Amino acid sequence: MELVVTKNFGNPQSWTLESYRNAGGYQALEKVLNEMTPEDVSELVKESGLSGRGGAFFPTGLKWQFVRSDPKTPRYVVINGDESEPGTYVNRYSLELDPHLMLEGMLIAAYACNATLGYVYIRGEYGLGHERTQAAIREAYEAGYLGQRIMGKDGFDFEVTFRRGAGAYIVGEETALFNSLEGKRGNPRYKPPFPTNVGVWGLPTAINNVETLSAAPAIIENGAEWFQNLGHGEATGTKMYCLSGRVAKPGVHELPLGTTARELIYDYGGGVLDGRPLKGFKPGGASSAALGPEHLDAPLEPRSMAELGTIMGTGGVVVYDDTVCMVDAAYRDALFFEEESCGFCIPCREGTPNLVQILERILHGQGTMDDLDLLEDLGASMMSSFCGLGQFAHQPVRGAVRAFRDEFEAYILGR
Amino acid sequence: MAIHAGAPRRSTLAPGDQAKLDDLRARLADLKDEPGATLEALYAAQEVFSYVPPEAVTMIAEELSLPESEVFGVLTFYTMFHRKPSAKYVLRVCRDLSCHISGAPAVLKALNDELGTRVTEVTEDGLFETESVSCLGLCDLQPAVMVNLEQHGPLDAEKARSLLADLRAREA
Repeated sequence: MELVVTKNFGNPQSWTLESYRNAGGYQALEKVLNEMTPEDVSELVKESGLSGRGGAFFPTGLKWQFVRSDPKTPRYVVINGDESEPGTYVNRYSLELDPHLMLEGMLIAAYACNATLGYVYIRGEYGLGHERTQAAIREAYEAGYLGQRIMGKDGFDFEVTFRRGAGAYIVGEETALFNSLEGKRGNPRYKPPFPTNVGVWGLPTAINNVETLSAAPAIIENGAEWFQNLGHGEATGTKMYCLSGRVAKPGVHELPLGTTARELIYDYGGGVLDGRPLKGFKPGGASSAALGPEHLDAPLEPRSMAELGTIMGTGGVVVYDDTVCMVDAAYRDALFFEEESCGFCIPCREGTPNLVQILERILHGQGTMDDLDLLEDLGASMMSSFCGLGQFAHQPVRGAVRAFRDEFEAYILGR
Repeated sequence: MAIHAGAPRRSTLAPGDQAKLDDLRARLADLKDEPGATLEALYAAQEVFSYVPPEAVTMIAEELSLPESEVFGVLTFYTMFHRKPSAKYVLRVCRDLSCHISGAPAVLKALNDELGTRVTEVTEDGLFETESVSCLGLCDLQPAVMVNLEQHGPLDAEKARSLLADLRAREA
């Protein structure tokens, strides 16, 4: 199968400019600058169906068109490398093994958006990713891929600033990331206005995930139809899935968007650890509700996952075998969101610790059947949270109650 | 929302830290004109002191022309900033999902037992402290530990102890 975003990972010193150029790097940018208008680029990317790989799956080409259409200048392109969703580590691989691919994608986005300034924002813990990305930025400046009159193209200037986070999951939320870039606490902002019009420093901003931008060069080179055909129907292109939990071989696999969990876990992950029975799996990070083994053949793409009451999320698939207690697993998720709630809005700030308390009660054998209804009600009220963190924080808990109710009842009824 | 334990806002500087304050002021000169550099300024302070003392907050506020309250607000928001002196090697043990079901609790316990400390408590020689942290994005190395920004995993109790032995050997 053809690879889009991981194709260079096996090359020696794949993170260096030399290696990247040997693999044909920066040729897509050259094509864009010589043969295409900004409109051509966003139209092509729209046609390809490329959508936000951070988990929101917003059409990328449309986002670029919106940014270009806003008359305010300067316009920005921001790379969101704040990947912090439990069970997710795909951006880390890209940052460590192919930062130039992401930078080339960023430059293509900048051209499509008529943007002149950019930020690369990477979570604080990715030390090796910082080093290699900063080195790639320096190399790109020296080689004339960044700065003024890029590749000799009059009027195409783009300056990039590298920034690192300092430990905060919420900053992966795009407007919270803008606040962090501006040197503030990472609280989210109200939407609308959306970042395409009012982004970092109040200016039009295309904020894209590392993986999304990494797909752009190949789309320019091979065309929209090629990219569409890599996926399954409306789920176009590939996705970097990553496996962890009770799986034989944790790892990253770039596969057609819409690959089933069965293929991912059994064909690529070597099956469940020690050949044990599969109890369930999370399709995309902590925020996604776990599914039981009856859903192993559902395609891991946004629409199918929504139909099952969960989300595609980040593609971080976490495997549960029969040794995992699903009440404890739900409790871990609740603890994570309690820790990571920014405390700005009440439904999330009060809701997340309440989820923890109710689950503690159940785990200590002091829960009642009413507590299961209470978890549902509390979750429903958390839907009024200010941002996605609070709106999703209860989903893994409610999902666990729905899919694995007998385990919760066993604690409550003392079985 | 996590309320991260830290030192009260009184001076925590040791005698002779004046030179460090001068060092920090010099580093901040490069950040003065860069908009939004508060996090980088706090990182600079942490590099100089191993944590961000109240005097550094005051200095950052002055140099970056920000209210002190805003700098303090940023300091307390992000979990990688310390408000009390931190160890030379901060051992961040992931506690989430994949690491948890792969044995992270045993790794954290082995480290704490070996060091004779509790989470965030610095050993007497100033070399080590453990932290129990949110997902580090090292799920393929489950259960994973970060030593400062260095990636380690997969670990178990025994490998955790030999990791400590390796770090001690570096110091010998």
